[in-house]
Amino acid sequence: MRERSIRSNRKHKFIECLSNRDISINELRKLAWAGIPPELRPMAWQVLLGYLPLASESRTSTLARKRDEYQSMVEATFARGKEGLDQPIWHQIEIDVPRTRPGVQLWMFETTQRCLERILYVWAIRHPASGYVQGINDLVTPFFQVFMSAYIDTDPESFDPGLLPKSVVDAIEADSFWCLSRLLDGIQDNYIFAQPGIQRSVRRMQELVGRIDAPLAAHLESEHVEFMQFAFRWMNCLLMREISVQNTIRMWDTYLAEGTDAFSQFHLYVCCAFLVKWSDKLKQMDFQGVIMFLQSLPTQDWGDHDIEMLLSEAFLLNSIWHNAQSHFGGK
Amino acid sequence: MTEGSNYDYLFKVVLIGDSGVGKSYVSLAFLSRFTRNEFNLESKSTIGVEFATRSINVDGKTVKAQIWDTAGQERYRAITSAYYRGAVGALLVYDIAKHATYVNVTRWLKELRDHADSNIVIMLVGNKSDLKHLRAVPTDEAKAFSTENGLSFIETSALDASNVEGAFQTILTDIYRIVSAKSLESSSTNIEPPTQGISVTAPEPADKGGKCC
Repeated sequence: MRERSIRSNRKHKFIECLSNRDISINELRKLAWAGIPPELRPMAWQVLLGYLPLASESRTSTLARKRDEYQSMVEATFARGKEGLDQPIWHQIEIDVPRTRPGVQLWMFETTQRCLERILYVWAIRHPASGYVQGINDLVTPFFQVFMSAYIDTDPESFDPGLLPKSVVDAIEADSFWCLSRLLDGIQDNYIFAQPGIQRSVRRMQELVGRIDAPLAAHLESEHVEFMQFAFRWMNCLLMREISVQNTIRMWDTYLAEGTDAFSQFHLYVCCAFLVKWSDKLKQMDFQGVIMFLQSLPTQDWGDHDIEMLLSEAFLLNSIWHNAQSHFGGK
Repeated sequence: MTEGSNYDYLFKVVLIGDSGVGKSYVSLAFLSRFTRNEFNLESKSTIGVEFATRSINVDGKTVKAQIWDTAGQERYRAITSAYYRGAVGALLVYDIAKHATYVNVTRWLKELRDHADSNIVIMLVGNKSDLKHLRAVPTDEAKAFSTENGLSFIETSALDASNVEGAFQTILTDIYRIVSAKSLESSSTNIEPPTQGISVTAPEPADKGGKCC
């Protein structure tokens, strides 16, 4: 009972915040950190990412302009048919689209797959330093699903977007593209040659775990487990291979509230908290046990509560270690 | 853990090759972890590396294969090469229905020469042999290429699991033969499971003499 009233009270605050003629980004961030009500998420995410303007009078025109802009990019890009495309990039995308969330109906539908293909390809050619890198396909899925939910009443995971009017699908696709772009802007180093962003994050994570949980770090070292062997994927796919999309969506509420660099900075602390969570189990395991356990973690039943615990642990680590990092960063 | 340490030999084998040739399915088929029905479902792309293990019998000895299934995309090359450390075998997989994946075999061989132990045993694996009507790489051509380059060769279909067992049997037996012959040579020194990196001694003159054949 009480919980429900807290929730409706929170929702009320959100509505109030988002209805302002000029949205206060700080207030929205503060609210979003603890999770965004699903109905308000599409708008809140777009505002937090700086895609939707804070001032209400320019929102409609900005959206229309961005959607048009994306539409013309698509047209220009695919004007010469498939022959006109960069073949290695297109080939990789073609292979990966059917491998995106296999088994989930939404991602098996023709309309969804074609949207995904265009989003990935247009992004890739506009970012030649990285191009398309496997795993970026995973990162599109929360956006697409959340933005589609604004137009339907049922579970987006089993809804065929082909049933929606074309203009709606185009809007969902364009919004997903721009929001993906903004997210990736903050982590482009993860996907350029030699993936220096990931290498750096994995190194830092190892350093941090050494301080946060020295016995675990020592155990992993004695078993010759290298952080790169498991944490590479944690960075490359932002833990999307480790937790459900529902979990990811809740996690991104907080990441977006933290700011776009959260996808590299705050994420590092989330990964540390995530590893340390299994410390007692891991310390009982040998090399093979550790690697096998970490590549299929028992997170299937995780709900918002588990993610929120993880996020608060990460918050704590961040506040303890973030400034301290400069002290040992140079060594 | 589960299998414990009941093995005589532990061999690390890497699975490499272009994206989409079916490396992960080859690994799964060897582990018998899927049935034909599940095959209809695409699996997610491999990011970084995925680890699996299974023990088989060679000459009455238990050989445990530690399989490192790697991501195929070019961009991951800088990272995946780190996974070659300590590998004594490599299954280099291409898709018999996609000629480009066969052309790239040369690049993968160079990759191994640059980053893996020069004694690594390499097997060329033409996967998807069930796609007969789409064949783009003639068996004879791949066979001749393998002989020239000192590789063993096999065609597999992870779909119906044909020859997958054979591929692993062959490469693990080859490795076993080499390792046990070496252990006779060097008499008393124990064969340790490959763990850490190959120690590099004084810099050698000119190239490393990629002795993979």
